[in-house]
Amino acid sequence: MPTDGSISALVAGLWLFNVILDTGGQLAFKAAAGDRAAGDGLARWKYMAARPWLWLGVGGYVIEFLVWIAFLSLIPLSEGVLLGSINIVAVMVAGRFLFGEKLTRLRVIGILLVTLGVAIVGLAA
Amino acid sequence: MRRFYLFGFLLLMAFDTLAQISFKYAGTQALPVQASVAWLLRVFSQPWVYGAVVGYIGAFFTWMTLLKHAPIGPAFAASHLEVVSVMLLSIWLFDEHLTLPRVLGAIVIVAGIVCLGAAESHAQAVGDDPDAAPA
Repeated sequence: MPTDGSISALVAGLWLFNVILDTGGQLAFKAAAGDRAAGDGLARWKYMAARPWLWLGVGGYVIEFLVWIAFLSLIPLSEGVLLGSINIVAVMVAGRFLFGEKLTRLRVIGILLVTLGVAIVGLAA
Repeated sequence: MRRFYLFGFLLLMAFDTLAQISFKYAGTQALPVQASVAWLLRVFSQPWVYGAVVGYIGAFFTWMTLLKHAPIGPAFAASHLEVVSVMLLSIWLFDEHLTLPRVLGAIVIVAGIVCLGAAESHAQAVGDDPDAAPA
């Protein structure tokens, strides 16, 4: 673990950037895929490709890939996995507010269990 | 819809797993890691890197198809089934060890995904898809 204060700030900054990119990327994908005006089959893919959401999602992931590599060069993979589990909760909360997804009790329990499980795997490595 | 989700998430898991396993093989066979053209040539001259590409592209199209109907919050959580499949395959392929905390984590992930599956089944059984658009 980095003990130097400036490195810790860099780790925190990269982590925050990763959460924003990961959550934002998923929301952009959902905005593209969930558009009911897009139709079906090949026409749906053409519709999505002609609008910015899909490309925002793809672009976000390309940048996230680089941020993740930089992040993992500063902390061990297991700690990265542990911190990354927060993204699952961030996507759940954002889906609730941006897409009105109902957070039924069973859904919240399921999502929190997956988050806990990923965190345990991160701690265990 | 139940079959759509079951088949979709299993296919997603398969593509994600292929990508991760391929990455591991590709990285191992291209050692040592260098910031050089020689390293890039080593990476792209062996077949595993293309397994990773196939995995990524397949996962992308599967994911965008799933998201047509699936709510993003539960779906993103369920996509982490990959963590379990990669862990189990790594024991066999890379001689990694299964520790008690890892097994515990995997069981908790699967339990969470079972809850998410039950949540969708329940919503459809009572004819109340929480995210169905008003017709």
